[in-house]
Amino acid sequence: MPEYWIGDAEGRVLGPVSLDVVQDLVNTGRLTEITRVSRDGRNWGTPAGFPEVMTLLLNAPSPEALLQAERHEAARVREQLRAMQGRPPHEIFRLDRNASVDAYRNAFFKLVKRFYPDRVRAQAHPDLRKAYADAFQFLSKLMVHIEKDLSAGMPVSPLPVMRSVPPPPPGDDEPLTPIPAPPPQTARPLTVVPRVMTPLPRQSPLMPPAPEGVFSYQPHEFVGFERREDRVEVTIRVTARNSRMFTDHPLANLKTDGFFLACAKSLPLGTLVDVIFRFDEERREVRSRGRVILENTGGDPAKPAGFGVRFITLVEQDRRFMQQFVEKTGAR
Amino acid sequence: MSDGPILIVDDDAFVRTLLRDMLADQGHPLQEAENGQEALELQGPPPRIVLLDLFMPEMSGMEALALIRNRWPGTPVLVISSMDSERLVDEALAAGAAGYITKPFHPMEIASAVERALAA
Repeated sequence: MPEYWIGDAEGRVLGPVSLDVVQDLVNTGRLTEITRVSRDGRNWGTPAGFPEVMTLLLNAPSPEALLQAERHEAARVREQLRAMQGRPPHEIFRLDRNASVDAYRNAFFKLVKRFYPDRVRAQAHPDLRKAYADAFQFLSKLMVHIEKDLSAGMPVSPLPVMRSVPPPPPGDDEPLTPIPAPPPQTARPLTVVPRVMTPLPRQSPLMPPAPEGVFSYQPHEFVGFERREDRVEVTIRVTARNSRMFTDHPLANLKTDGFFLACAKSLPLGTLVDVIFRFDEERREVRSRGRVILENTGGDPAKPAGFGVRFITLVEQDRRFMQQFVEKTGAR
Repeated sequence: MSDGPILIVDDDAFVRTLLRDMLADQGHPLQEAENGQEALELQGPPPRIVLLDLFMPEMSGMEALALIRNRWPGTPVLVISSMDSERLVDEALAAGAAGYITKPFHPMEIASAVERALAA
């Protein structure tokens, strides 16, 4: 079987793989940029020197064709979701009626990741984004329900309340309406102007944390799959004066695994944020990654503009250091 | 089964951190490498398990997989990749991977896969 090595602009290499694999990855958008190609992993050339690879790149679906395909895929996913909603859990996961919780989990992970929201490209058709989100939420709720049944020693029952999936929008086969392209989301530094915060009134949590030791299987708990161009880089100089970003917000604080940054700019919910906290006085830098879970655009004068982040990753040692810093600086 | 560390090979520092934190909670000794070349230059006892990305600089994950299998024949290699082509999964398994986990992954999924590999 012919073997290929391919490289991207970041210097990463995939190979040896068959041309079929390259085709799969190009057609699904996993590989959007091939800068070099090799047949032996040592001698490299531009894609133009490999007609068979160029053919794949040139035949990659056009943006219009991708949108059309995504609309059909959305209809297919909605249909699949409707079918799942009427079936017992063990049938959905193709398991024996008395399957163990581990078997359910393994089957759940295999199935639910097909609908992971970030799998959808940034410019994807909104129908597909919605269909994936609905399917993911259904399966997540179902898995939590299964865990509860099994931990109580009960047989697995269907979800008691299920909202039916709305029928596909009319005119599914009509020509597509152009969708305005979202603004480019290249990784960019954000100028941050920390302000002194005032405590916010309590409000309903947008994303209530799972009970201790229980997974809720929400999308933010799945990690390791990020489009690098979608990240926003934030560098924050932490001082005694602004350390209340870790304590004051009732929903986004160090105890809830996050922080709230009051600043002139806001970030949309779900934005992936790479954060560098610089503790200059302590001569220490903490790096973390999180996702925006709250945004206040400044429309409500009672609330400071800014955004709240929940950490996806924060090293325990760094967390302890930050907690000690907050206690030392007297933030409450 | 070796009593060496679990070796995490991924060029994304955040993914390494995530995996390290998850597995450290389970009490596993850990070692990290940014790419296959760095992994193969590590000294010490053979790793108990290798968690291997496929798309990395310096040396591709598939090449690293073959060399790791050659250097540490008894060590299972779990591929963790965002490249989710079924044909690529087949090719990785045919090349000797003990398992293939697609990104994004859930902490419980990794913990479960590692435990299964350790018990095998």
